[in-house]
Amino acid sequence: MGVDRTRRPPPSTPRRLRLPEIEGVTLSNNLRVEFVPRREVPEVSLRLILESGAAAEPPDQAGLSELTTRLLTEGTADRDALHMARWLDRLGASYSASSGYSVTTISMHLFSDVLVDAIKFLATTVTQAEFPENEVKRVRSERADEIDRERDEPSMVAGQALISELYEDGLYGRPVGGTAESIPLIERRDVCDFYGNWYVPDGALLIACGDIERGPLIEAVEAHLCKWQGVSQRVQAPPDPPRKPGRILLADRPGSPQAEIRVGTIGVPYGTPNHHAIIVANAILGGLFNSRINMNLREEKGWTYGARSSFGFRRGAGPFVVHTAVESGVTAQAFQEILGEIKTMRKELVTEDELDLAKHALTLSLPLQFESARQITSKIAQQRIYDLSEEYWEVYRNRIEEVTAEQVREVCETYLARDRMTLLAVTDAESVLEPLSELGTVDLV
Amino acid sequence: MAVSSTVNFELEEHRLANGLRVLLQPDSSAPLVALHVMYHVGSKNERSGRTGFAHLFEHLLFQGSEHVPREGHFKYIQDAGGTLNGTTWFDRTNYFETLPANELELGLWLEADRMGFFKPGITQEKLDNQRDVVKNERLQSYENRPYGLAFETVLESAYPQGHPYRHPTIGYMEDIDAASLEDVHKFFDSYYGPNNATLVLVGDFEPSEALERIQMWFGGISSRPIPEPPEVVLPSGYGECRREIRDKVQVPRVYLMFHSASFNEPEFETVDTLSYLLGDGNSSRFKRALVYEQQVAAEVSVFTWPTESVGMFFAVATARPGVDADHLEASMRLVLDDFKQDGLMPEELEGAQNRVRRSLVGQLSRFGDRADFLAHAAVLRNDPHYLNDAFSRYGLVDEIMVEEVAESVVDEDRLTVLHVIPEETS
Repeated sequence: MGVDRTRRPPPSTPRRLRLPEIEGVTLSNNLRVEFVPRREVPEVSLRLILESGAAAEPPDQAGLSELTTRLLTEGTADRDALHMARWLDRLGASYSASSGYSVTTISMHLFSDVLVDAIKFLATTVTQAEFPENEVKRVRSERADEIDRERDEPSMVAGQALISELYEDGLYGRPVGGTAESIPLIERRDVCDFYGNWYVPDGALLIACGDIERGPLIEAVEAHLCKWQGVSQRVQAPPDPPRKPGRILLADRPGSPQAEIRVGTIGVPYGTPNHHAIIVANAILGGLFNSRINMNLREEKGWTYGARSSFGFRRGAGPFVVHTAVESGVTAQAFQEILGEIKTMRKELVTEDELDLAKHALTLSLPLQFESARQITSKIAQQRIYDLSEEYWEVYRNRIEEVTAEQVREVCETYLARDRMTLLAVTDAESVLEPLSELGTVDLV
Repeated sequence: MAVSSTVNFELEEHRLANGLRVLLQPDSSAPLVALHVMYHVGSKNERSGRTGFAHLFEHLLFQGSEHVPREGHFKYIQDAGGTLNGTTWFDRTNYFETLPANELELGLWLEADRMGFFKPGITQEKLDNQRDVVKNERLQSYENRPYGLAFETVLESAYPQGHPYRHPTIGYMEDIDAASLEDVHKFFDSYYGPNNATLVLVGDFEPSEALERIQMWFGGISSRPIPEPPEVVLPSGYGECRREIRDKVQVPRVYLMFHSASFNEPEFETVDTLSYLLGDGNSSRFKRALVYEQQVAAEVSVFTWPTESVGMFFAVATARPGVDADHLEASMRLVLDDFKQDGLMPEELEGAQNRVRRSLVGQLSRFGDRADFLAHAAVLRNDPHYLNDAFSRYGLVDEIMVEEVAESVVDEDRLTVLHVIPEETS
């Protein structure tokens, strides 16, 4: 048949990756606009990034930033909530606003022929929102109910319990969406003040990618956003939290057939010198399907549908987390296997094969990461929010390729100490308490 | 802003001598290629006592074949910088990868090896391992999730015993346990021949060269007889079906499901447009009435399942605290009754059509998603050109068509109702 099926066919000559060429302009009110024309399909992705987020809210008003984002479309002086909804729905554009720790992001996805009106809609929400009292009450109570429903989802319970243990009252320990206690106390005037202080053009960035042309885009942005005024404050990264000894935590979910489990500790911010070694180390430990933890728990043991790990790089030190769900009966063993994999990473050098696989997966996938308009606006946002260098992606491949097995071991040694690992399970407490106790003192949360 | 035909993707259609259908959609806008192989087999082809088998089988197809070691499939693709996955549904099973364009041959080798040389690679040990993985998938994605068993309960109620759409794709635990190696061999022989498959390429390649490579890798795999597909008929004279189940949840959720137009029927785009009109966007009928005005629902979603035979049209609403399932259901039905009685406003239809085309363009922007769209159009509709025609088909939907379809689909005799209510209230 003329083909050799016994070995992997070699690749042909690689095509050159063209990273998006970002054009930019700064308006007179200091609003920065960055854009990348890509004409293949008639769509546009818009993202407006504002310095804001949970870090900008008073700690006793957790959720204020998120509540503000949800109220942006709920009315202006001359358009009520329903009018706004009809306007958006007639455009057919999607609009979503959400708060993070240090920024608020408003994303729109649209068919390119409604671009000008979509920009007008976006501008209306960030410059003219009025927060009618009845809508504040409604959205606040919707959010409070939503928090209540989050208790139904084991993965939500596990995620929140872990970060509150790691960061306690620190910024990254608080849920961005607020708590059952904080949300009901937020008043209209808090939202108005927050909006007045933080929804300003200075320091804000509008990113556009897709079927756009420079001239009409800038014209529309000038027309609808140049009167927007205000001076920004930079949202500060939280202070480095204290590192605590790890604990074993158990949240009861009676009758649960599976255990939602986490192994976590405080990780690192974006800009550490060993950034690329950490990325490679995580890819080998738990960042890919073929990573050690997934191969062990899923492909060898069959205990789970999947297991992964991640370093949450942020302006401050985000968490390192291993997350999976396993049959309840093997909860304690699963923890031991995960800890065993982490320990091996700290003590022994990874193999050349593993190192190569991780590097290839991370670098050869770049074209896939920059494929669509939405991906590109997201990448640009990431680069600006975290102050990554202009050449972050240009040098990414070389930086990753330079990482050595010893550097991988070193970062694991440094950041993944056993005594700082917190183990957490959400499951039927009675059935796992005894085996878990063999790993140490178990605290019920 | 009427919906118009706004995309025009180049498309070539071929069929190899062994029956393998090949669709080529060249696009050099990114240095990537998406390879998608869709087999015309799904959970509807399972025999009783073996629910979940098509999906378990899909897992096994990632466990190596004669020339590809266990875990090799994932490893090779990741090593090349690609992504991959497979999914199973009522009517079809698909396997796909997106790769840097210079690795097309790698994808072809892997897909050809599992199509032509699967059986020597499969062992009892691999079956047992993946059976455990799938059982955990069922636990994680269904049993241990709020409202996770709702859809399978709707199906059980909506279809009579033995109907091919009556059971969920994930299958029931005891059936997953029952699968044997002999079942695996038989299923492969029956459904995984090239004449039951469609191969789609989207991306940066030269069509004649790609076709030649496909011929080289797949041309030697023999076709074989495919069993007659099961008959999937609209259950009739069944009347309204009702069920209530309890779950570990704070608030009730109500599911209304109407038997509807399938992906194959001319009314499909109209029903789909109706779902956008009723439930997509804050001004849509359901969201406005239930979430905004009456505040009886926290969330509402309305959607159609593009199945090959009998379509399914869903309206699902989650209650606000203090609102019981009966009250929520009554409010939902009032929205539907009002719509049927009063008809629609022209701007509602225009908005729904604009939301549809934004959603369509979003589904076609990445090569992998476009390949998926094309494969579904080819396998379930036997109409690959739907890739380009979908926009205009949705654009032709008018007010009268929407009103007629609402009249015929939103009908008591086609309705299944499920209430999921909190355990505590028992």
